[in-house]
Amino acid sequence: MSDPDLLLITEQPSTRAYLRSMWDRRRLSTALPMEELRTEHKTTVLGNLWHLVNPLLSVLVYYFVFGTLLNADRGVDNFILWLAVGIFTYSMTASSITGGAKAIDKNRGLMRSLRFPRALIPVSVIFSNLLTFMFELLILGVVAFTTGEPPSLRWLVLPAVVLVHTCFNLGGAFLAARLNDSFRDIQQILPFLFQLFRYVSGVMFPLEVFLSESNTPGVLRVLIDANPLRLMLQSYRWVFMGTPVDVPYLVLAGGISVGLLIVGFIVFRQGEQRYGLR
Amino acid sequence: MTSISPDEELTNLDGRPSSERPTVIARDVHVRYQVIGRRQRTLLHRIGSRGNQPDQSQIRALRGVNLTAYEGDAIAVIGPNGSGKSTLLAAIAGLLPINSGEVRVSEVPQLFGVGGRLLRDASGKRNIRLGALALGVTPDRMEDVSREIAEFSGLGEALDRPMRTYSSGMRARLHFSIATSVRPQVLLIDEGLAVGDRRFRRRAEARIADLLGGTGTLIQVSHNDRELKRMCNRAVWLSDGEIISEGGVAEILDQYEASEAGDD
Repeated sequence: MSDPDLLLITEQPSTRAYLRSMWDRRRLSTALPMEELRTEHKTTVLGNLWHLVNPLLSVLVYYFVFGTLLNADRGVDNFILWLAVGIFTYSMTASSITGGAKAIDKNRGLMRSLRFPRALIPVSVIFSNLLTFMFELLILGVVAFTTGEPPSLRWLVLPAVVLVHTCFNLGGAFLAARLNDSFRDIQQILPFLFQLFRYVSGVMFPLEVFLSESNTPGVLRVLIDANPLRLMLQSYRWVFMGTPVDVPYLVLAGGISVGLLIVGFIVFRQGEQRYGLR
Repeated sequence: MTSISPDEELTNLDGRPSSERPTVIARDVHVRYQVIGRRQRTLLHRIGSRGNQPDQSQIRALRGVNLTAYEGDAIAVIGPNGSGKSTLLAAIAGLLPINSGEVRVSEVPQLFGVGGRLLRDASGKRNIRLGALALGVTPDRMEDVSREIAEFSGLGEALDRPMRTYSSGMRARLHFSIATSVRPQVLLIDEGLAVGDRRFRRRAEARIADLLGGTGTLIQVSHNDRELKRMCNRAVWLSDGEIISEGGVAEILDQYEASEAGDD
């Protein structure tokens, strides 16, 4: 007996059909973060202002420690802007990937009740973080203006940088979501991983200057140079301040980002039907 | 085991006549669950147990289930707790990975059960919107669909409150209203109606009858015989993950009742 009209529901749809179904429901991935925004800070006095105050405070803390106490700025012009760019950029990646790891569990109720492409959940985490990042870009604009940074044509490249960065974050979020669904240990490990990467990506001090002062072993040096997050930060700083970039490595960073997105998506889909069952 | 192949089944129907167009075909469906106590598997455990003795921590929830449903069919799934009823429904809904076999459906079924929680912290209204989006309701229809869901749920002002403040009956009403808002051809109910009040159950049954009167199919798990007899034409009896008997709803319920009486 053949039944060509019937849908084989126990099998995964083709990638094309899956993407199509995601597209049809794309509004879910923007509605979820808005929902979160609505409920998240309800019990605080400042409410959603925290989305602005939070990053500002961390910039001040780092400025106090690395700029004032340790003099780690090593002659960087406009260290506060330099620092702000690094912190905002880096924290978007950290919270996108950590958020991806936790998102499946958080939306379990929705997944148990309704069938929809689960990839929309990590995508919604990315949207949520992009939303925060938009606020942070506003702050950067204000800091750039008040510290006398002249407007520049380099700003036009910003969307492209954000796009590549977002590919990286989404790929990482997919991967973390899948791994964390199998091993909850991931969500314990991630903070330490991001702690390490905060240092080797040059978030709060000019890594290159420090590395050239010390004699880091060759292999390690290559790894650090090729670290896509370091290159991402470098690109943003170039956009805002015109600091130098390692162009050949940038191509590598772009490749890694797109590769991570593809691999992450494939890996994530393999768990499609398991999400939310626990 | 008296499992019946889909082809023979056509001649085996009594109760309300149904069409010959299948809406659900489950073939030799096997589902195994991995269980280790009540704790999740840790990485250490996985490494430690690689490749030794056969896994005793598996529960064979479904063991070769065959089931075909046709347009207009309302099938009661009965059996003791833990016999695989909920697993069968989840497998048909495509919400669960199966180990072997296949399930074909005429369109994506909607599963409505007590396990559905949606988003606890969001209000009823927001849940309606998110649910509708997840079901693929397009923006131009969103307002109409949302209003219709809100009205059918009959929850009124409670829709402005977060869902965590809802009673189980209220949650079920909202979930049922969302799940049926898209008029699914295949509706799966896992004891969901039991918690609703009588007024809502009546409305829900009217809506289900409406779906069935068209080209719909209902597959329902319930322990309420009267409800099953009223709503269903066929029944399957699951025991230990296998269908041990199937046929007209009255006949199967009688068999099942007799076996339960025998146990006492």
